[in-house]
Amino acid sequence: MQTILSIGADALAYGMVLFVISIGLSVTMGLMKVVNLAHGAFAMIGGYVASYVTQQMGLHFAVGTVAAVLFCVVLAFPMERLLFRRIYGAPELIQVLMTIGITFIIIGIANWLMGPTLKTIALPDSLRGPVDIGFRTIAAHKIFAAAVGGAVALGLWYLIERTSFGIKLRASVDDTAMAGALGIRTKIVYSVSFAIAIGLAALGGVVGAQLLPIEPYYALHYMVTFLVVVSVGGAGSIPGALVACLLLGAVKTTGSYLWPEFGNFFFYLAVIAIVSVFPNGLMGRAK
Amino acid sequence: MRKLLQATAAIALMATAAGADTIKVGVVGPFSGSAALQGRNFQAGIEAWFALNGKTVGDHEIEIIYRDLPAADPAQSAALTQELVVGEGVQYLAGYYYTPDAMAAAPILEEANVPMVVFNAATSAIVNASPYVVRTSFTTWQTSTPMAAVARERGINKIITVVSDYGPGTDSETAFIKAFTDQGGEIVQSIRMPMSTTDFSPIMQRIKDSGAEAVFAFLPAGPQTLGFMQSYVENGLKESGVALLAPGDLTQESDLGALGPNAEGMLTTFHYAVSHDSPENKAFVEAATGWLGNANELSFPAVGAFDGMHVIAHMIEATGGEQDAAAAVESVKGLEWVSPRGPVSINPENRHITQNIYLREVAKEGESWINKEIQTFENQGDPGWVAP
Amino acid sequence: MSNDAKTMTIWQRGLRSDLIACLLIGLIAVICFYAMPSGLSLLTRIIAIMLLVLSIDLVTGYGGVATLGHAALFGAGAYAAGIAAAKFGITDPLLMLLIGTIAGAIAGFLSSLVILRGHGLSQLVLSIAVIMLAREAANKFSTWTGGSDGLSGIAPSPLLGMWRFDLWGKTSYWLAVILLLVVFLILRQIVRSPFGMLVKAIRQDPIRVSAMGAPVYWTLVKMYVISGAVAGLGGALSAVATKVVGLDALSFELSAEAVVMLVLGGTANLFGAMIGTTVFIWFEHLVSSVNPFHWLTIVGVLLVTVVLFAPRGLTGIADQLRDKFGKGGAK
Repeated sequence: MQTILSIGADALAYGMVLFVISIGLSVTMGLMKVVNLAHGAFAMIGGYVASYVTQQMGLHFAVGTVAAVLFCVVLAFPMERLLFRRIYGAPELIQVLMTIGITFIIIGIANWLMGPTLKTIALPDSLRGPVDIGFRTIAAHKIFAAAVGGAVALGLWYLIERTSFGIKLRASVDDTAMAGALGIRTKIVYSVSFAIAIGLAALGGVVGAQLLPIEPYYALHYMVTFLVVVSVGGAGSIPGALVACLLLGAVKTTGSYLWPEFGNFFFYLAVIAIVSVFPNGLMGRAK
Repeated sequence: MRKLLQATAAIALMATAAGADTIKVGVVGPFSGSAALQGRNFQAGIEAWFALNGKTVGDHEIEIIYRDLPAADPAQSAALTQELVVGEGVQYLAGYYYTPDAMAAAPILEEANVPMVVFNAATSAIVNASPYVVRTSFTTWQTSTPMAAVARERGINKIITVVSDYGPGTDSETAFIKAFTDQGGEIVQSIRMPMSTTDFSPIMQRIKDSGAEAVFAFLPAGPQTLGFMQSYVENGLKESGVALLAPGDLTQESDLGALGPNAEGMLTTFHYAVSHDSPENKAFVEAATGWLGNANELSFPAVGAFDGMHVIAHMIEATGGEQDAAAAVESVKGLEWVSPRGPVSINPENRHITQNIYLREVAKEGESWINKEIQTFENQGDPGWVAP
Repeated sequence: MSNDAKTMTIWQRGLRSDLIACLLIGLIAVICFYAMPSGLSLLTRIIAIMLLVLSIDLVTGYGGVATLGHAALFGAGAYAAGIAAAKFGITDPLLMLLIGTIAGAIAGFLSSLVILRGHGLSQLVLSIAVIMLAREAANKFSTWTGGSDGLSGIAPSPLLGMWRFDLWGKTSYWLAVILLLVVFLILRQIVRSPFGMLVKAIRQDPIRVSAMGAPVYWTLVKMYVISGAVAGLGGALSAVATKVVGLDALSFELSAEAVVMLVLGGTANLFGAMIGTTVFIWFEHLVSSVNPFHWLTIVGVLLVTVVLFAPRGLTGIADQLRDKFGKGGAK
C-alpha cells in the first residue's frame, strides 16, 4: 500500500512537471496550429537565464524565474514577427523544418555563450530538501512544480475561456479572415498568444530544471517528449494536456518501478494505444 | 626493365620517406553535439602534449587533422576514417569516443597500414577488432571491478546494481557482479534503466524496497548523473546510509560543479582524477587548462588523448617516420612510462593500457569539488578482455 | 484505340526522359568518381541515405503521409543484412541486399498498419512512437544486434566473386550507383503508373478517392511496402559498405534529418530527394570540417533560410525559374 501511494506521489509530481513544460506548446500547436519543435529551446533559454541570475549574479530564485520569463517573452515578439509568422498555416513538414532550424541555431548560440557544461539553478532553502507528506518524503521542488502546474492550468483556462482576449484568440484561430473583418486585430492576438506560450516554456524550463537539467542539447533531448505529450492530450486543450501528462506520467513512473528495463516500451505503447483510439488526442477538437 | 622499375619504386619510396617530415595524425572525435565537451578534452590533451613536448619527434613534425563525429554513428565513422587515410594520407588514426565508431574504423587498418590509438572508447572487445588497435584510455570492466573489493572491505554484503541500459552500462554491471559475488557478496537485484530516464524517483523507491546496503550504479558522464544523484539524496537514501558506489564516469570533474553537495562523500573508482598529486599531473593540468581556458572543463578524455600522443610519438620514433603499422604497434608493446594518472604500460598481449585504478571520494577543496584519491589498486589490467 | 496509342507515347516519352535522367546521374557519378577519389566512402553514404529519402518521398511527397519515423525501415534493412552476414554467414553482398530489401518491406508493412491510423499531427506522433519502439527493441536484443556497441563482424564477400570491398571503396561506390539508378528507374515507372496516380490523388483528396470506390488505406499500405523495400535496400547498402550497423540507423534523429533533406530538395518529384540529400550531407560535411564547433548553427541558418525563401525546396526554385523564363520545358 505504501509503495502504491509512494509511486502515485512520484507519478503525480512527474506528470505535473511535464505539464508545466509542455502546456505552452499546447497553445502554439492547438491554437496557433504551429508544430513548434523549438519549444524546448525556449524552455532551455529560460533555464539558462535563471541559472545565470541565481548563480552568477547571486539573486533569489524568484528573481531568476521572473527574469527568465520576461527575457523569453521579450525575445518572442521579434521572433514571431520575423520567423514564426511566415509559417502559420504552412504544411506540418515545413513547420518542422523551420523550427528544427531555429532549435539548431539556439543550441549553437547557447553552447557558444554558456559553454557545454551542465548548469544548475540555485533554489531557495524553502524548496531544497525533502518534505514529509505523511507516508513518505518528497522533494520540495516537486511539490512546488506541481503547484505551479495547477496554477498555470487554472490561469490559462480562465484566460482562454473567460476573458475577452480568449474570445478574440479563439475567434482568430477558427476563422482569421472573419475575425479580422469583425475588427479583431488578429496579428496582435497571435503575437501575444505566441509570447504567452514562450513565457510558459521559460517558466517550465526553470521549474522543471531539477528533473530535466539545463545543458545545450536540452532542446533536442526532450523535443520528442513534449511533442508526444501535447498530441496525446489533444493540441490546444488544457484539461486534455493535464490528463495526458498525468496519465503518461503514471505509465512511465509505474513502468519504471515495476519493469525499469521496459520503461520506454510501456510509454510508447500507451501513446500508440491512445492516439489510435483518439486520433485528435484525448480531448482535442475534431477537425 | 624490371630493374629499372624497382629502382624507380625505391626512389619513390625514399622520396616519401624523406618528404615525410610532416606526419599526419587523423583524430576522430565528438567536437560538436552533446558530447562536444569530451571532444574538446581530446584536443586539450593533444595540445597539452604539444605544449610540454613540442610538435616534433626527431625531425618529423606532427600535424593533427581533426574530423568531427558528434554521436555514435559507425557509418559516418567509417566514411571519415577512409577519407582521412585515402584523402589526407594520415599515418596514424586516433581519438574515437564511442565504441561503435572505433569498431567501424578497425576493419580498414590492416589494409591501410595505419595504427589506431583509441583515446576513449571503453568496450573490452575493441582491441580484438584489429591487431593495429592500441588503447590508452580504460575499459568499463577495468574501472568497475575494483569497486567490489572496496565494498567488501567496508563490510557491505548486499548490493543492488542500477545501470543505464546500453553497452557500457551492462559491461559495468557484469564486471561488478562477477567481482562482488566472487568475493562472497550478494547481489539482491539488478536494474537496467532506459537511457532516456529523467525521473529517478521510482528507481530510488526500488532501491529502498530491495533492502540493499549499497547501490552500485553506472550512468554515462553528463546530464543524467545530475538527476540521479539528486534523486538519491532527495529520496532519503543518502541519509539512511545506503552508500552509492560507481565508476568515475558519474563524477567526472566537469560535472562536479553542478553535482555539488549531492555527490559529497560519494565513492568512485577510476583511472584518473584531475586532482592526482604528482609533478607529471601538475604540468599536464596546467597545460591542458591553459588551452581550455576554463579549469572546470577538464575531464578524463584529456588524459587518454595525452597518453595517446605519447604512444604515437614513440611509434614515430621507432619507425623513423616511415609508414609501417606492424612495426609501430610492435614498438609500443610493453612500453612503460609515467603518465599524469600514474605509472602505466601497454599490455603486449592485448595492446590495452595497464594502469592504477584509484578509489576516490568526492570532497570540497577550497571553492571547488574534487575527486580525492584515497586508495590505489596498482597495475590493473583489463579483466573484461577475452582472447579472440 | 487512338487513346491507347496516345498513352503509349506519353509512357514512352516518360521512359525516354527517365533514361536521359539516368544518363545524367551516371555522368555525375563518373565525374564524382574522378573528382574526389578519397571521398568515395562519403559518396556511398550519401547514396544510402538518398535511398532512405527517396522512400520517404514515396509516402510523404506522393502519399501525403507525415512521418518522422522512417528510419525504422532503413534500420530494419541494415540490421537484417548485418545479422544475416554476422550471425548466419550469408556474406554474399547481393543476397544481403535482397534480405535487407525484404526486411524493409516487411517493416514498412507493419509500421504502416500503425502510422496510417492517424492523420496529420497524430500521424507524426505515431511515427515517432514506432521509431522509438524499434530502437528500444534493437537495444534490448543486443545478443542479435550488438546493442549500443553496434553490430560488427560483417564481412561481405567479393561482389559476384570478383570485386572486393576494399579500402578505397570503389566496389561499394559503383554498387551504390547502380542500385540508385535501378531504384530510380523503377520508382519513376511506379509513380507514373495508375497506382502512383491513385496515391497522388489520395494526398490531394482522400475522401473523393474513397467515394470513387478506391481503397485508400490499402493503397497507402501498398505504397508503404514499396517505400520500405527501398529504405531497407538503403540500410542494407549501408551495412555492406561500412561493415558495421549501429543504433543510429534506427534513430529519430536520422528520420528527422532525412525528412529535412527531402523538404530541402523538394517533394514529390524524386529529383528533390536526391538533390536535397546531396546538398544537405555535403553542406554538413563541409561546414563541420571547416568549423566543427559552430556547424550546427550554420545548418540551422540554412534550414530557416530555405523555409523563408524557398519553401518548395531547391527543385521548387528550379520549377519557378522554368515557369518564369522558358515555358516550353521538357514537361
